[in-house]
Amino acid sequence: MRITSALAAAAILTLAAACGGGGGGGSSSAPNEPVKINFLSLAWQKESVAANKQLVDEWNKANPNIQVTYVQGSWDNVNDQLVTQFAGGTAPDVIHNDSPALSGFASDGYLLDLKDKLPAELKSDIPQSAWDTVTFDDGKGGQGVYGVPFLQESQVIIANKKLLDAAKVRIPTADDPWTWDEFSEAAKKMTKDGSYGVAWAMKSPVNKTLNLALNFGGTFFQTSGGKTTVKVGPEEREVLQRIHDQLYKDKSADPDALGQGTADPLPAFYKGKFAMLPAGVYLRQQVVEQAPDGFEWVTLPAPKGTSAQQGAVSQTLSIAQESEHPDEAMKFISFFLNGTNQAKLAKGDWLLPTSQKAAADPAMTTEENGWDVATASAKNLVVAPFLKVNGFDEWKSKVATPALQEYFANKITIDQAAAKLVEDGNKVLERYQR
Amino acid sequence: MTATVTRPAPPRGPRRARRPGISRQTREMWVLMLPALVPVLLFSVGPLLYGIGLAFTDARNTRVHQTEFVGLENFTRLLTDAEFWSSFQIGAIWAVSVTVLQFLAALGLALLLNEKLRFSGLARVLSVVPWAMPPVVIGLMWKLVYHPDAGMLNDLLGTHINWLADFSLALPAIIVVGIWAGMPQTTVVLLAGLQNVPKELYEAGEMDGAGTWRRFWSITLPQLRPVIVAITSLDFVWNINQFGLVYVLTQGGPGGRTRLPMLFAYEEAFRYRMAGYASMLGLAMAIVVLAVLGLYLWRQMREAK
Repeated sequence: MRITSALAAAAILTLAAACGGGGGGGSSSAPNEPVKINFLSLAWQKESVAANKQLVDEWNKANPNIQVTYVQGSWDNVNDQLVTQFAGGTAPDVIHNDSPALSGFASDGYLLDLKDKLPAELKSDIPQSAWDTVTFDDGKGGQGVYGVPFLQESQVIIANKKLLDAAKVRIPTADDPWTWDEFSEAAKKMTKDGSYGVAWAMKSPVNKTLNLALNFGGTFFQTSGGKTTVKVGPEEREVLQRIHDQLYKDKSADPDALGQGTADPLPAFYKGKFAMLPAGVYLRQQVVEQAPDGFEWVTLPAPKGTSAQQGAVSQTLSIAQESEHPDEAMKFISFFLNGTNQAKLAKGDWLLPTSQKAAADPAMTTEENGWDVATASAKNLVVAPFLKVNGFDEWKSKVATPALQEYFANKITIDQAAAKLVEDGNKVLERYQR
Repeated sequence: MTATVTRPAPPRGPRRARRPGISRQTREMWVLMLPALVPVLLFSVGPLLYGIGLAFTDARNTRVHQTEFVGLENFTRLLTDAEFWSSFQIGAIWAVSVTVLQFLAALGLALLLNEKLRFSGLARVLSVVPWAMPPVVIGLMWKLVYHPDAGMLNDLLGTHINWLADFSLALPAIIVVGIWAGMPQTTVVLLAGLQNVPKELYEAGEMDGAGTWRRFWSITLPQLRPVIVAITSLDFVWNINQFGLVYVLTQGGPGGRTRLPMLFAYEEAFRYRMAGYASMLGLAMAIVVLAVLGLYLWRQMREAK
């Protein structure tokens, strides 16, 4: 009997050991075997996936000793996926993400500080304002650089040329954009014969409004004495109120678009149901691809308030703290994001490159498809203040998204929305400041 | 560890004489159970205990955080967390209405399928189809049905409603999907129950002049009772723990109006990385489910006697 129980115990132990040990083995490689690097890419537009894969192939051919494996991810669940992979120790070496997500992963210690690893050429090609979007507290009192910013998004207005011309308004240019007053006036003029002036797709209202709020200096967050709190003062309310007015006072905004995601109103846009669609520059790609023949459209710069500033976030490439080949990964990143390649990536994703060399590429400044307006808007990009707020993601999904959705649906007043953003918001932020 | 715990020290003294027989039997029993027991212990009981342990710590899914034992802090925070209570309320509305409506609809369908109709064999097969679909596929399919522009529902009604993004319609909309998705197994179980009701009872009822309604109320329902209790309890547990379907349909939106407790726990753990708090959430939900279920089963048992 003793023997059987001993055997049983041994069997269980072996099983447990076999299960527990499964993850750890097989990672050490012989010296002359090529180093293997996993690259998690979130590219999703067809051209962009093609550009990504082509660059990886190019690298693999030129560097037989450092082989990169392309791993496809998705923006929808990348952060959930990374939390589990980091915790399980199976994260990819090179990680594509965006700067709002980096601050959390950086302060949790999952990302490598690249400050001392960046090659000089890469560092000088990307302006400091872009580096600011990936610079965060390292949790030890200093500042670290937790990714290489490469693509940035700015807000523009995509407009139906026929309706725009018919309204006989001044056409704004990159050097002389509309003011918000002119913008609202134009939207009113274009509202006639059953079509609306503008459509605000506000399914995910937070980033859009926060980035535009900088037009009037609205930052939404303030830090004093190391403690960050939410603030909704007159500056923050400007853009909120103006959008709300277009919806309910001027009635120049299409109410159907309100609950939709950014790309959802496009079919109605092609039908001329509304004239202008404020959106990120990348949406131009879908217009080019899907618009019916003969549909004429133009890209207009976003309106300006007291300034034309917009909050910027960047897409980034980072290296996992636990990567076994950080130096090789850095080499790959600096190849992947050099000027020529960034121009290819920016073109594939219809976004703005951070690289100054890439921005000078003729493909980035052509009038065709509004590239000139888009690229010119890059000069208005400043670091979005919310990037540095620890707990922003929770504030966004628990407090700000519902509050702003309810406000834009005219279910609560601006005062009630402000109270929610501040009071509930501060409670959320408190959790992260202990 | 298990082997030593599950096998108590052999009894001494007078009972020793009978020992070989019993011990041989027990031994065989354990040997036979071992293959089934090991995975259960390793993959169910182990993580469960680990989760319960985590619930009393401030564990976070980070690399730099030192996990400490915090006692009941997570629990007290849970009690004062308005987000949790609203999510709990949504979960309760969802689980109760889906279970009840699902049961009523399935009972109707089962009664229909139990009649001798033409093509009843085909109809029975068709009614099980939703069962064959994974929740994610069901979610995607209904997302298309509810689509504001291209959706079948808006086409049919001639409306222009964004069902899943509307603050007051989103919860009813997903409840309909929940009912649809869970109906097959309920129908099949009830149908099996119906076919076990002895025909003699109906014949006797007919002899006594009982109408259709009377026969249903006094024969079918009491005869089905054990089946009904079993399937509704299972459905309730299944529904309150539902995750995949709602995650695909709304991800808890709009504005948290469809954030079921399990989605809430998932967000806490994998978005905000508060593993300790999320474990306490899971634990609390398990206790609630056990309590509700215990009360329900206890009452049913008592009435059955």
